[in-house]
Amino acid sequence: MSTQSAIEAAPAGEAGVGATGPVLRTEGLTRRFGGLTAVNNINFEVNREEIRAIIGPNGAGKSTFFNCLTGVLAPTSGRILFNGEDITGLSPDRISMKGIARSYQITNILPNATTLENVRIAAQSRRHGWSMLRDYTAYQDIIEKAEAVLKSVGLYAKVDELAANLSHGEQRNLEIGIALATEPQLLCLDEPTAGMSSAETRDTVQLVRSIAKNLTILIVEHDMEVVMGLANRITVLNYGQVLAEGTPTEIQNNPKVLEVYLKT
Amino acid sequence: MTKRTNTSYWIAFSIVLALLIIAPLVLPEFWRRFLTEILIWGLLAMSSDILIGYTGMISFGHSAFFGLGMYGAAAALLMFSPPNLWLALAFGLVASALIALFVAYFSTRLRDIYFAITTLIFSQIFYVIVFTWTEVTGGENGLNFPRPRLAIPGLFSVPFTSETMHWFVLAVVTASYLILRRVTRSPFGMVLQSIRENEPRTRAIGYPVERYKIVAVMLSGLFAGLAGVLYAVQNRFAAPDFIFFLVSGETVIFNVMGGIGTLVGPIVGAGFFLLMREFLSRLFGDQFPYLIPLGVVFIVMIIFLPQGLLGFARRWLNR
Repeated sequence: MSTQSAIEAAPAGEAGVGATGPVLRTEGLTRRFGGLTAVNNINFEVNREEIRAIIGPNGAGKSTFFNCLTGVLAPTSGRILFNGEDITGLSPDRISMKGIARSYQITNILPNATTLENVRIAAQSRRHGWSMLRDYTAYQDIIEKAEAVLKSVGLYAKVDELAANLSHGEQRNLEIGIALATEPQLLCLDEPTAGMSSAETRDTVQLVRSIAKNLTILIVEHDMEVVMGLANRITVLNYGQVLAEGTPTEIQNNPKVLEVYLKT
Repeated sequence: MTKRTNTSYWIAFSIVLALLIIAPLVLPEFWRRFLTEILIWGLLAMSSDILIGYTGMISFGHSAFFGLGMYGAAAALLMFSPPNLWLALAFGLVASALIALFVAYFSTRLRDIYFAITTLIFSQIFYVIVFTWTEVTGGENGLNFPRPRLAIPGLFSVPFTSETMHWFVLAVVTASYLILRRVTRSPFGMVLQSIRENEPRTRAIGYPVERYKIVAVMLSGLFAGLAGVLYAVQNRFAAPDFIFFLVSGETVIFNVMGGIGTLVGPIVGAGFFLLMREFLSRLFGDQFPYLIPLGVVFIVMIIFLPQGLLGFARRWLNR
């Protein structure tokens, strides 16, 4: 099990750096809920090591789009290609193994476990997950990986703290840590600064920048300062469709975007 | 886990084990058998703790695994002459593991109450099959069979007495406990606990949750079947009553009374329940509806000791 996934993951990671073409590509992606079309015929491409923001008014389909990418929802029609491979309709665990990780809009951690355990269990999903007869603390490689991730998200001082006892901002960063521990190539962040103080928000922007090396990041965010400060390119969704796409400056000066945002 | 709590754990473990080894030498015949039976029911309860306490799935189908372990042992003991203990174990374990795989395949896609109900229905199906298929299973009357000898080929062979029976059961239950304790602290065990805490999240970080659940149900069913084999060997009969869902219900009650997610707790719960029942029927006679006062005790315990007897004892010791 673990060797197989290691073989799957490794060539994708290495060959990917030299390979040209987008990391992620959707073709005519559509998701309907009854009569409502939440995501409507989205054609979308993200290049390697890009930080791409997805913005749009409430109900524009951002979360549904993320849910389709990460396998939580199966698209009604259309295709999702990751490194050129069709991953449409795969289950969340298979998609995670392909190298797409996500953090959640609503904090979604294991509250009764320690900070370290939250990240360790995520790291363990790549190796040794089926091992039954050795104590989990015997796998030092996993623990070292988890500690390294905690250092990178600034939570190393709180390894033994219960996740439930962390501050809101720390829990949000733990979310990112859990996602990073699965060694993704593409990281999807769903409103990483939601509910944060402005100081915490600044720290999280710093954090996202610092982890962005060798990583492609998709970020859904409402805070325009965060978006403009982080993104290389921005995609604007409205009523489930792509309204505009471009650099932060282009988007700021796009009359269609201004109209949508001023109306709401 | 600090070094000191670890040392005191092993000291407590050794003391309890020593007491259980000495017990049959001091106890009269009735209580000797009674203690052995507590260990067997405790093993059944401990096996279901893997699901209830560690994976967060409440199984009402453990009577099926227990009962099929019994009938598997019965088949081996009736088919081979002289009856062989190890064949009984092998047959019982294979029977319960196969049944567990079958039940797991269909029930693990469902969650919470739907999982509980599905396992309950499966156990009732097996109950009806065993109850009605008289030519093979003996139907309502069950099966009687000789007790095998306690033997290791080429080394020794002695008939079971109530003492050796107790020690044999104690050895199996202790080994099972140590194995299950290991499993619950392994990477696999941590995944089960992650599923209990947050199933969608566990899936999102890359674990095929259904497969883990199927293996958890099989593991749990295997040890429930082992308890069934022990019960069959001790009592020399197998009966359809043991597949009936009331046995599963008692298993869940043992867990809640003793403390779920502790492995030892369910054994304590089984002992407490069976002792209470015995005392009540001794005090008030066989016809006494013992379930009424037991039910009251159970409700009081849920309100005041929600973590079970073991959870309460732990907190009290740590004070």
